[in-house]
Amino acid sequence: MARDNTTQAHTRPVRRLLLTVLILCLIALVFVWRIDNPRVERLRAAIVDRVVPNLEWVMAPLTGLARMADDFQSYARLYEQNQELRRELQQMRAWREAALQLEQENARLLSLNQVQLNTELTFVTGIVQSDAGSPFRRSVVLNVGGRDGILDGWATMDGLGVVGRISGVGERTSRVLLLTDANSRIPVTIQPSGQQALLSGDNSSAPVLDFIEDPDTISAGDRIVTSGDGGVFPPDLLVGSVVEMPDGRHRARLAADLSRLQFLRVMRSHPGTALDGNSDIIGPPWPPPEGFVMSPDAVPVQRPTRPAVAEAGPGEGEP
Amino acid sequence: MTPPLQIWTYRGLFLLIAATAVTIKLLPIDIEGSALPGPDLIMALTFAWLMRHPALVPLALIAAVVLLADFLLQRPPGLWTALVVLVTEAIRRRRLTMVEVPFLTEWAAFAAIMLGLLLLNRIALWLLVVDLAPLGPVLLHGFVTVLIYPAVAALSHYVLRVPKLAPGEMELD
Repeated sequence: MARDNTTQAHTRPVRRLLLTVLILCLIALVFVWRIDNPRVERLRAAIVDRVVPNLEWVMAPLTGLARMADDFQSYARLYEQNQELRRELQQMRAWREAALQLEQENARLLSLNQVQLNTELTFVTGIVQSDAGSPFRRSVVLNVGGRDGILDGWATMDGLGVVGRISGVGERTSRVLLLTDANSRIPVTIQPSGQQALLSGDNSSAPVLDFIEDPDTISAGDRIVTSGDGGVFPPDLLVGSVVEMPDGRHRARLAADLSRLQFLRVMRSHPGTALDGNSDIIGPPWPPPEGFVMSPDAVPVQRPTRPAVAEAGPGEGEP
Repeated sequence: MTPPLQIWTYRGLFLLIAATAVTIKLLPIDIEGSALPGPDLIMALTFAWLMRHPALVPLALIAAVVLLADFLLQRPPGLWTALVVLVTEAIRRRRLTMVEVPFLTEWAAFAAIMLGLLLLNRIALWLLVVDLAPLGPVLLHGFVTVLIYPAVAALSHYVLRVPKLAPGEMELD
């Protein structure tokens, strides 16, 4: 071992220097992330874009197996579920009848008024590829990205309700920040009282309703829809219903089933949000790009004077 | 001396296990987050192998794997990597003088290191004015990681047959 000792005497200072440089680089990376978050988050999106689609061949069968195991567990409650479904089906038949009548009435009224429906809300459907991978984050990665025209800030829904918003777009993938994530803030309206509120996630399955002006006018079961304030989200997308907690706070039970996300719709709602600087607030760029038709009631405010009802950037706060 | 081929095989194995661990975490199964946050398998594996044969987990390998995990698992990039690199290097240097360590001591050391790292990480995030995750789940995550350490060590010893250096033997990569 004598030879080893002499070589070590030479390599040790080099090694120490290498270590110091590495540590300094890493710490510098943390600081850059903190100071210029959008740039590093774009780098992160690019890395996810590189890695996650390549893992699909192993992730898809594993996910399928896990879902099957989940379904298998529910066989144990087959009888109860059957009863429950029958009851629900009965109710749904009544609703279907009502919906059909309303649809006919609606079509008649529309043709009477010669209304042109807003074609702004088209959507792109994506498949959930992976989740955040951290117990302290709520986001999923979709298999649609920049090449499909996805832009930051677009609303994302499952078949029924809002799930979250696009936050981070790569070439082939994009990340959806779920409504339950601690960084998520969405302006909503509570129907039928029309109260405005802010839906803020806190990593629990039911986000909190903040800043309700008059909490007495809302009650459990009221519908929550997006309000479209701030121009980030299109208005009138279903979010969920109000639940009252024992401590008097109001939370939202989401209409979307967040535990089983598979296909998501990304709503093409506005020309996109540009997040250039750290201090900028997210919102549609102004003036809108050529060829984009804005709906007349959704006029974004000039950039620097935008209200502060928006979301923080992704990737902040971690154990 | 362990033959170089064997060392490189184990390095590849480490990479493979780490990749598997990250992939499993990324599977979109547990989107809502269960009550029990999953363990940090990479951390347990790194420490277990470092205690047995430091050359199997060289500095560059640890740094690359943990940094990639930082990026993929939505952690602040670089911070956890820096802490892990610092602590593994410290262990590597200590190991040279270490006598044969009983397993309980090794386990306790891992627990202390895990707790220390989580606290340091939290302090750093607090200094950087980042929103902190609630303390309870973070500690639970550390606790779960410590709990699976014996399993990881047993797997390394009995299944993967990771070679163990005698106390006097030293091998820097």
